[in-house]
Amino acid sequence: MIKRFVLLFAITGALVTQARADAGSDLFYALRKKVLTVKDYSAEVKMKINVSYLKIPQLKGTLIFKSPDKMRLERSGGISLLPKKNINLTISNLIPAGNVMVIDIGTVTLEGKKLHVLKVIPEDDLSNIVLTKIWIDETNLVAVRAETTTRNDGTVTMDLAFGKYASYGLPDKVTILLDLKDYKLPKGVTLDYNDEPTPVVKAAETDKKPKSKKGSIQINYLSYEINKGISDDRFK
Amino acid sequence: MIQLLRIELYKIFRRPRTYISFAIVMAISFVIQLALFSDGKAFLGFFMQGINDQFEVQGNILNGYLVAYVILHSLLMQIPLLVALVAGDSLAGEANLGTLRLLLTKPISRAKLVLMKFLASFIYTIILIIWLSVVALFLSMFLFGVGDMINMKSESLVIILQNDVMWRYFLAFCFATLAMTTIASLSLMLSAFADNAIGPIISTIGIVVVITILSNLELPLFNIIKPYLFTTHMIGWKGFFDDPVPYGAVGFSALVLAVYTIAFLVTTILYFNKKDIKS
Repeated sequence: MIKRFVLLFAITGALVTQARADAGSDLFYALRKKVLTVKDYSAEVKMKINVSYLKIPQLKGTLIFKSPDKMRLERSGGISLLPKKNINLTISNLIPAGNVMVIDIGTVTLEGKKLHVLKVIPEDDLSNIVLTKIWIDETNLVAVRAETTTRNDGTVTMDLAFGKYASYGLPDKVTILLDLKDYKLPKGVTLDYNDEPTPVVKAAETDKKPKSKKGSIQINYLSYEINKGISDDRFK
Repeated sequence: MIQLLRIELYKIFRRPRTYISFAIVMAISFVIQLALFSDGKAFLGFFMQGINDQFEVQGNILNGYLVAYVILHSLLMQIPLLVALVAGDSLAGEANLGTLRLLLTKPISRAKLVLMKFLASFIYTIILIIWLSVVALFLSMFLFGVGDMINMKSESLVIILQNDVMWRYFLAFCFATLAMTTIASLSLMLSAFADNAIGPIISTIGIVVVITILSNLELPLFNIIKPYLFTTHMIGWKGFFDDPVPYGAVGFSALVLAVYTIAFLVTTILYFNKKDIKS
């Protein structure tokens, strides 16, 4: 009798877990399908880069995107800066492609919103993405946060705020936190003007190797033009 | 006074070697522009290595504003030599030619003569800096175009928007004029001590080279004296290309240079008033 009860309990447990995993997978694939409906867009943006070694004013320009991974900031003759490597500034790039394993973590409440949390592991061993943790607003079917651990580029955290383009899964505001290395050039080459007296300790510190730091990029999307078709030439 | 200044300016600008300075500034600018035009990507690649590893930088980075900054940075050691060529010759050159005693027979005080020679050297310095701005900045803008400016510092990279650059260059050239005026006053002082123009010119360059090395050595021993060396403050023009501009530090640098200039000038007047003019 006890054996039967244990067996029944185990089967029920397995079925519930499987059902939850299936629900998680369904949610993930539904989100991915929605994100991938955007083939290209052109958006007027304001971008603020907060990296300790970069002193850059707020950049205004047109951010153009073409699926799967082409992105460029156009600034009518000005210089544009975008994170390199395999990171770009769209959620589609931080959601693993191909077959994935989805682990349903459950629900959490973030800033008063009930969110579904999933861990997604790509089955492709060569994928740059090792693991993605996604916080999903089920009501609007949008990812409001994605924390992606990459093979070579550290961890990238993306916070998204949605407004009138939520139906396309496109945000009005994105904040990206990323791991960055420090930047140094020999002082003998740059001949810096020291606006502060050089203390003895600081002089010794300049010999240290570059260390890893956190940086952030905040983008405010003012308007979008979605799926109008963008030529590849604009990305050259 | 004006007549005396005119005569001093006439003396400076009738000499062919005065124009050598302008030719040298143009030649150095042109060589740097040519080098950056042909191999600018390699140059940028070295400086931008740390940034390019992590960011995709697009746009006209190697524009006229950056090229002008590189030229100004490279001319840091040459311009004092060109200023010294004129200022170092002003009193000692006359002594060497035997015209100084004759000049002092005129009804003008020695202090006035020194001031006019300083003023003439100052005007020459202004004209040289204006020429520098033409060949280094405006010619580079013409050849390389314009855009946002990148300033590569040892521990940071500053991007200045295109519409925010020109006023910085204007103030940087004003600051460079002040720094070169300090060199002119030093050279004039050394010129008062000598009876041959070569000595003051070489001495000025020697002093500038030695204390520039002291200013740039990252040794604790020299950190104590660095704030008091005028060469430490001569690169204050670079402060205008930082964000935000360190106005306090740049103002202090300007004050130090002004104090040095006045000190050199006063020393020149005091010494020249008592000098026994033999030639």
